[in-house]
Amino acid sequence: MVPKKPKIAVFKFASCDGCQLSLLDAEDELLLVAGAVEIANFLEASRRVVKGPYDIGLVEGSITTPHDVERVREIRKECRVLITIGACATAGGIQALRNWKDVKEFTRIVYASPEYISTLDRSMPVGSYVHVDFELRGCPINKYQLLEVLNAFLNNRKPTIPTYSVCMECKLKGTVCVMVAGGTPCLGPATQAGCGALCPSYARGCYGCFGPMENPNTSALSRHFTELGESNLDIMLAFRGFNAYAEAFRKESDAHE
Amino acid sequence: MSKTVTIAPVTRIEGHAKITIHLDDKGTVTDARFHVNEFRGFEKFCEGRLMWEMAGITSRICGICPTSHLITSAKAGDDILAVAIPPTAEKLRRLITLAQWIQSHALSFFHLSSPDFLLGFDSDPATRNIFGLIAKDKEFARRGIRLRKFGQEIIEVLGSRRIHTPWAVAGGVREPFEVSKRDYLLAWIPEARETALLALKTLKSIHENFSTDIPNYGNFRSLFVGLVAPDGALEYYDGTIRIMDGGGNIIADKIDPHSYSDQFGEATEDWSYLKFPYYKPLGYPQGMYRVGPLARVNICDYIDTPLAEEERQIFKAMAGQAEAVNNSFYYHYARLIELLFAVEKAEALLNDPEILNPHVRSKAMINRLMGIGVSEAPRGTLFHQYWVDENGVLQKVNLIIATAQNNLAMNRTVRQLAMRYIDGNKITDGILNRIEAGIRCFDPCLSCSTHAAGQMPLHVQLFDADHRLLDEIRR
Repeated sequence: MVPKKPKIAVFKFASCDGCQLSLLDAEDELLLVAGAVEIANFLEASRRVVKGPYDIGLVEGSITTPHDVERVREIRKECRVLITIGACATAGGIQALRNWKDVKEFTRIVYASPEYISTLDRSMPVGSYVHVDFELRGCPINKYQLLEVLNAFLNNRKPTIPTYSVCMECKLKGTVCVMVAGGTPCLGPATQAGCGALCPSYARGCYGCFGPMENPNTSALSRHFTELGESNLDIMLAFRGFNAYAEAFRKESDAHE
Repeated sequence: MSKTVTIAPVTRIEGHAKITIHLDDKGTVTDARFHVNEFRGFEKFCEGRLMWEMAGITSRICGICPTSHLITSAKAGDDILAVAIPPTAEKLRRLITLAQWIQSHALSFFHLSSPDFLLGFDSDPATRNIFGLIAKDKEFARRGIRLRKFGQEIIEVLGSRRIHTPWAVAGGVREPFEVSKRDYLLAWIPEARETALLALKTLKSIHENFSTDIPNYGNFRSLFVGLVAPDGALEYYDGTIRIMDGGGNIIADKIDPHSYSDQFGEATEDWSYLKFPYYKPLGYPQGMYRVGPLARVNICDYIDTPLAEEERQIFKAMAGQAEAVNNSFYYHYARLIELLFAVEKAEALLNDPEILNPHVRSKAMINRLMGIGVSEAPRGTLFHQYWVDENGVLQKVNLIIATAQNNLAMNRTVRQLAMRYIDGNKITDGILNRIEAGIRCFDPCLSCSTHAAGQMPLHVQLFDADHRLLDEIRR
């Protein structure tokens, strides 16, 4: 008997689609992936069409409408393993910046007939509504990490995804510390690795695409920013980026508001 | 009995297309609408951020064309700094813009559209995608995947990652180019050119096979809008705005992008979150215009690379004397002409020794309190306008995105297809497929992204004159 190929489904909420495109970006692996698994369609979202069950569901995007809430609950039921991919799904994404503002004011200014916009007050991570088996970080995610996570779950093992900080990647690359040597504020010490320390390689401070690392000491980092001459506004903006609503970054940014 | 139907926005489908079709008493289509229901609120939540952050933040609008937002935002930043960026920085930004065209146009044709054409509209939707194409014609799919990869490789080589690179900045770019990187990219050119030509050859056979369908795919006159170079050549990074009517007449030319808001207004409708830009002198909705490949190849006087120019002349000849090519199906053709151009032009830039000059960034502080950036994203002209205070803190943001500018034309296309194919009170799979293909001519961001490895999620509803739901179909 030919073993059945595992079924993978991809679901999208509010996002830029960059994370699911990372799957297509794995060109060299795409032909192999196509042979190893069944990529179920990006079927949309009504009760009737979520034709599960799926072995793995990848969820991109944040939850922003009442309909999203219903939909993500349906999706959870249909997926044996649910993995969120990217900053939107794991932390609410860049659109979570609106969580600090009045969303009604948003829609009024941008749209002539705001009463037709049906939206929740806040942009929330998937994990605040349903149980998530694994959260893959990044804005966008790293395609090699995605392949590793898929591989791990398909083989019933734990994914090898580092939870240490970006600093480790700078050291591994031999990149000179932008903060110690250049006095440039850098979120690296509090941010999870995964990007390959991209910005410090450009002599620029990290801006936190991969969200908070495990147990980040954000207040010590803020103190250091202050010593470098950063204002409260600068510090607030630094933590309030692509992972603004991730708890550690949210608290730190609020402390400087 | 009233034929006007107002749609209560109850069944929101976040980020996906919804189409409603309205019939009169006799069951004839009176209207059809293409709805977009995703709201993220970028223009508003950027207020209070720093001008320097905007390239990074606005990249996140779109994972398919983040590079277009990056470059356009950096250009708005140049304007606020009031600097001329180093010539090498401009060439590098041009190169990455072409790379964006290559990867996006290749994605549109090979990954998204060709499965319809090569596997057939009526083939099983479950396999009518890039994976189905891999199963059917592995070599063709492999070449398409590699051509897109070439575009993505340029972006990765320059910007260290493919999606959301922090590489461009107000005043230039962050890192000079290197000989070894240039040579690596140059080695790709012969294969890329060959694949672009293969795509054109394949499309032409599709034109023959679908000749009875094609006349219904958004075939109507409209304005065409885009940038052209100072000498009238096809442009992608800079230049001035040209506006052509459906008869092929240039009705406005050499418009400074800084005055775009005098030319274009944005209307809103209660049934879609996507705004409806229009050409102000003609008013709304008569000022409907199209942007993107079809517009650009129509409005330019010539293309300054030999193979693409040869194709452009064949394209122009299709329209007949002094006409613009008005059929939206030929977006595909124009897109592939641009794909070939982008490969040829990238080769020319890579061979330019100045591209290796290490001076790639001009530094300055805030010198103007307002800045505009414009460029040609794969799907059309993209505008970013920022108002800042003296510290560079954003006071107001206006973004006009290509897909929105095609909104009126996409609606017109859906209406045309509905009128041609809807007969009676049922929506069949065949109708759904054709409407989907009609929308995909425009390669709108919302759909090609959600449909990246599968089919476009669609929700079509059919209403009678009393707004009773006759039929609906989702997938």
